[in-house]
Amino acid sequence: MFLTFASTSHTAPEVSSGTTLVFGAILVGLIVCLALEEKIHAKKSVIAGIFALISLILGAAFHLLPVGPVLVGGHEINLPVYIPAIDWNVIAIILGASLFVDVTSKSGLFTWIAIKLTKFSKGDPLVLMVLYGLMTVVFSAVLNNVTAMIIVGSLSAVSLSKLNRNHQLLSFLLVEGLLTNVGGLLTLISSVPNIIVGTAAGISFVKFFLVAAPFVVVATAITLVMGAWLFKIRKLGSEEERSEAALLVSAFDENDGIESKGFFWFSTFMLLAFIGVIATASILPWIKDLGMGYVALGFAGIMLIRFKAVADKFYQALDWDLLGFFAALFVVINVMEHALVLEGIGHGLAAIIGLGEVLGTGAILVSAAVASSVTDNIPLAAMLAKILQSLGTDPSSPLWWSVIFGANLGGNITPIGSASTLVAVTIMHKHKLPMSFGGFIVKAVPFAIIQIVIAVAYVLLFLR
Amino acid sequence: MKVDQFESIFRAAAKEPYQYQRVEFARVLVITDLEGESAQTFIGDAKSFLGLLGDTVNWSVLEDSDFSGVESLLDKVKEANPDLIVTYRNLRSDAWKWPYTLGEHLDVLTQIADAPVLVAPHPSAGRASGHSMQTTNLVMAVTDHLTGDHRLVNVAARLTSPDGSLLLAHIEDEQTFDRYIKTISKIGSIETESAKETIGRQLLKEPSDYIQSCGDVLKENALTITVQSHVGMGHHLAEYRRLMKEKQIDLLVMNTKDEDQLAMHGLAYPLAVGLREIPLLLL
Repeated sequence: MFLTFASTSHTAPEVSSGTTLVFGAILVGLIVCLALEEKIHAKKSVIAGIFALISLILGAAFHLLPVGPVLVGGHEINLPVYIPAIDWNVIAIILGASLFVDVTSKSGLFTWIAIKLTKFSKGDPLVLMVLYGLMTVVFSAVLNNVTAMIIVGSLSAVSLSKLNRNHQLLSFLLVEGLLTNVGGLLTLISSVPNIIVGTAAGISFVKFFLVAAPFVVVATAITLVMGAWLFKIRKLGSEEERSEAALLVSAFDENDGIESKGFFWFSTFMLLAFIGVIATASILPWIKDLGMGYVALGFAGIMLIRFKAVADKFYQALDWDLLGFFAALFVVINVMEHALVLEGIGHGLAAIIGLGEVLGTGAILVSAAVASSVTDNIPLAAMLAKILQSLGTDPSSPLWWSVIFGANLGGNITPIGSASTLVAVTIMHKHKLPMSFGGFIVKAVPFAIIQIVIAVAYVLLFLR
Repeated sequence: MKVDQFESIFRAAAKEPYQYQRVEFARVLVITDLEGESAQTFIGDAKSFLGLLGDTVNWSVLEDSDFSGVESLLDKVKEANPDLIVTYRNLRSDAWKWPYTLGEHLDVLTQIADAPVLVAPHPSAGRASGHSMQTTNLVMAVTDHLTGDHRLVNVAARLTSPDGSLLLAHIEDEQTFDRYIKTISKIGSIETESAKETIGRQLLKEPSDYIQSCGDVLKENALTITVQSHVGMGHHLAEYRRLMKEKQIDLLVMNTKDEDQLAMHGLAYPLAVGLREIPLLLL
């Protein structure tokens, strides 16, 4: 990237170990505050923003920051030091993809798919769990984990209520929450850690999909089988029960949310085109120079033409907290890089990697999972990606995949491990279903352990 | 958090489709306080009006001399166990001269009897419209909550002449709606215009969807009647009266029982008292 290249052209100053420790403490403070986000009632963007401000002022005080003009495409430009610190490609992908998904959802496409599947199940709980599970995985892969959880979780609440099966809602939400993090592994753009680590490693969309898909298929199947077995989700026994359930779900009208057939089909085409272009962005002429961020923003822009007069409503609906959080996080990590904190962690990481190809790779995956279970997996992924990059890790190394699998699957250990499991718990609480922090861990850990064990085995057996 | 937004979309998509069930009126009881020829005329009119029920109907009659008061009337009705009761407003009451009541007998009968009560205009009042008690070519079913009221539609459909029309009407009270919107306009966090438009649209969409499903299901069940829809905002009584006059409604069907109260259903009473020109079927 032009900006990164320019910013690293400055000569790094000498940094004392005391200074590194001070900044290390700031990084720990940020991670702790993010883990306690719910307790301290502060948004991620505010937490990361404050730590970014502190890091910057201390970075300037300790003369760590590469202030001065930066080189952009061969031209010297005066930019504040925190601007080139941000990975704008990641921001553009998230901004564009969120906007694109938000506008596309207005066509009724996602609800149409969701209701079609509900009717296809004929109201049978076991079939419903399998179909909702698969839908969660696909939506998580194509959209994002949080949106997938919101759509499938909301539908589960409404359809199970319609089927008088509210007692099974908690099981459905839990399984769906766990599957968002499995589905989030399917493509390069399915989750933010994938984007960050995949971009840093230079993994293409197609390569990412081909590597991740076998694991996602196996992990999804095992999660669904376990979910049905542990939560006693069975097929309906009698013909009478089946007819009654089929009648109840037949009342759903999949066309209700479609205001314009034309826009519906246009959105369907655009969604497929979006996936196609993102998948081939690295080989398409011109597009490969502009990157996936351009693709995401471009598709969002085309979709917004339909709502050009009220486009501001979509801007308002964007998750500015998430975008602000990313920007601030990149700034903090950039300062940590200059303060040699990442180098220090890198030494620790190198020690783990040094355990050997088998033990080291497995240990990285497990420790990434454990770490991301108690804190946000995005800073973790960003930090580890930066460290692996600085260690000169080969793009084909299984270590990248250890970080990707660990950072995603760790979200299944605790309710705060990922935003989508937090959404699942929020929906549970909305429907007055009891689910404590500890209760979630007790129910989710068997699933998480099996998923992580399979991931370790997969990385060691097939990706080394 | 968009959870509520998506739940709303799915809740809106979970509709209440109409469920058809043919209603049988095997036993019809005619109640009159008239005697002799007058009574026979009313009974004849009732039989002619309900000719579409077929020849197999078992007709029975309670004349003036058959009951002495409300209690006696109720005992006789219970004994007859009819599927349908036919009478007229202000039965055994002089209050027909004033348009303020149905009369004590009917007030009690409509609330206690399980069978629907067909209330004809009073024979002596002279308020009946020219087409009253002639045919059921155009039947209107009304309620303030039409969606999911399968019985109301089934009964109304049964009493509509083959090849006749069934008008399903749903009026949302505009005054109440305006009052809520006025309250919303004082809440800063809710955008008033958007709320007015979306709430209004959703309020009218549900009955419209239900009426649409009524037409579809009746057609699927090989009924030849045409379903018409009237869904809108307005003043209940004024709007139903306007429809009644404009469309020359032959029979008005509505619910009168309310689980929450002993008196007649909130909307039904003013309609039953006020719409005196045509027969009403009170469920």
